[in-house]
Amino acid sequence: MRDLAGKLLRMDRRIIFVLIALATLIPLLRPIGLPIRISPEVKQVYDYIESLPEGSVFLLSLDFDPASKPELYPMAVALLKHAFKRDLRVIGMTLLVTGTGMAEKVVSGIASEYGKQRGLDYAFLGYSPGGSNVIINMGQDLATAFPTDHYGERTADLPVLQGITSLRQVNYVISLAAGTPGVESWYVYGKEKYGFELGGGVTAVIAPGLYPFLNTGQINGLIGGLRGAAEYEILIGAKGKAVAGMDAQSATHFLIIGLILLCNLIYFLTPHAAIRSFGSAQSRSDAPREAGR
Amino acid sequence: MTTSLLIGAWVAAGLTLCMFSFLYKDNPFFRFGEHLYVGISMGYTIVRIYYDVMVKSLYAPVIQEGKWWFLIAALLGLLVLTRFIPAISWLSRISFAVIVGFGSGVAIPRIISSNILQQVQGTLKPLLGNDGQPLFGMAQLNAFLILIGVITVLVYFFFSIEHKGPIHAAARIGIYFLMINFGAGFGYTVMARMSLLIGRFDDLILFASREYGYATLVLLGMIAFGLFMWERNANAVPGSDQDSRPGGSDVRPHADG
Repeated sequence: MRDLAGKLLRMDRRIIFVLIALATLIPLLRPIGLPIRISPEVKQVYDYIESLPEGSVFLLSLDFDPASKPELYPMAVALLKHAFKRDLRVIGMTLLVTGTGMAEKVVSGIASEYGKQRGLDYAFLGYSPGGSNVIINMGQDLATAFPTDHYGERTADLPVLQGITSLRQVNYVISLAAGTPGVESWYVYGKEKYGFELGGGVTAVIAPGLYPFLNTGQINGLIGGLRGAAEYEILIGAKGKAVAGMDAQSATHFLIIGLILLCNLIYFLTPHAAIRSFGSAQSRSDAPREAGR
Repeated sequence: MTTSLLIGAWVAAGLTLCMFSFLYKDNPFFRFGEHLYVGISMGYTIVRIYYDVMVKSLYAPVIQEGKWWFLIAALLGLLVLTRFIPAISWLSRISFAVIVGFGSGVAIPRIISSNILQQVQGTLKPLLGNDGQPLFGMAQLNAFLILIGVITVLVYFFFSIEHKGPIHAAARIGIYFLMINFGAGFGYTVMARMSLLIGRFDDLILFASREYGYATLVLLGMIAFGLFMWERNANAVPGSDQDSRPGGSDVRPHADG
């Protein structure tokens, strides 16, 4: 047992990298189609958009940059498809300067898929500096926060924004966020003061921290990570990249759970002194070091 | 397919593979991708800031609309740059004072309201039951567990009294709640990291198709060949500066001499 534990603890970590790569690649090439259960927090976002009458104002704040694209881009696609299908007036924007180009691409791309016209059916306001202060500014006067849209058109002249002078006239806001400014900023500086309904779509890393806001009703729904995006794609009946990635996600999770269980098994079955001797072997200068730090 | 899309696919596939090559070990392909990423993201940010901030939020309002008071904010922004001139660096404190003062004034009341008062209300209210709901249902059990968690974790972080007797027991329970929280956080973090990997693999599979000129496969072969040659040259030259540790390292011998 001690020899096996020693071998496993001294194993080249690149073997684990290869196993993870295979666990990701194989399901992407040969999908299994594991079932995906819809969670209540995702359903709540879907139900709220379903309940909005045609012409309601839906603001999607794409507060992320390409680093979070794999998780949040499919969410943006699914939410925009849903909003355009429901004939809502869509306003797109971002609080992150590095996400501007990507945000513009997804909003205009999905709009053209549904035959929506810029300025008439939707608007992309782009980026405005100030982070959370932009939300306060939008609550007071939308045209001050965004005098022109991303394309240089005066926001006051856009037909889609007629009758919308501040966040008070917005029916539903969803922030797709990978950090700050994000969902919490929209709640703290926006919803509480200006009274619109708020939902969140976030990366899996920050999702656990937002559940207290969900439980208290401070946000009315939460789409968390790629899993949440996949659930939303199923709800709108448009399976996309998120659903395609769920088999791979499950496979890698099984592998990681297996590795964690194996490590713990070895830890509990091996005398502690032996573990320590392996540990000192690991700290040698020529030993593998953790990648990606 | 347009040429720009094709070039974009080759660049994206190549840079992704350059970054993944770090999993083998630290190497010139990874360093090239890393430096390029830092440079391009900084360049992109500067260009966007120029158009979205300097032009849209300063030049246009001041010159075209005559809103001269925007210059006060610009002046405060410029004062921050005096940090680079030691003789007048004290001027930057004026800007920082405005930033801290305004930021605190705006944030403190709102955060107390939403992150403390409403959270306390949200913790206690479900215990009393809502209209039409039984007083002892699953919702109340959940609320009770949350309340126990909140109180015991607060006790754990209360260091003004010695953790003995019932305080020790409560703090111990608090540790278990914290452990569950860390576990959930770690699970979600794994999920997030795997999602990023899936996203890149998804693109690499797409770019490996005939439509994109087998970009992934060609570039994978080129990078593998490049790494082989790099290894061979490094082994041929005694005292080479390459990092031989697998999986790369956060300490690069060549970087710090």
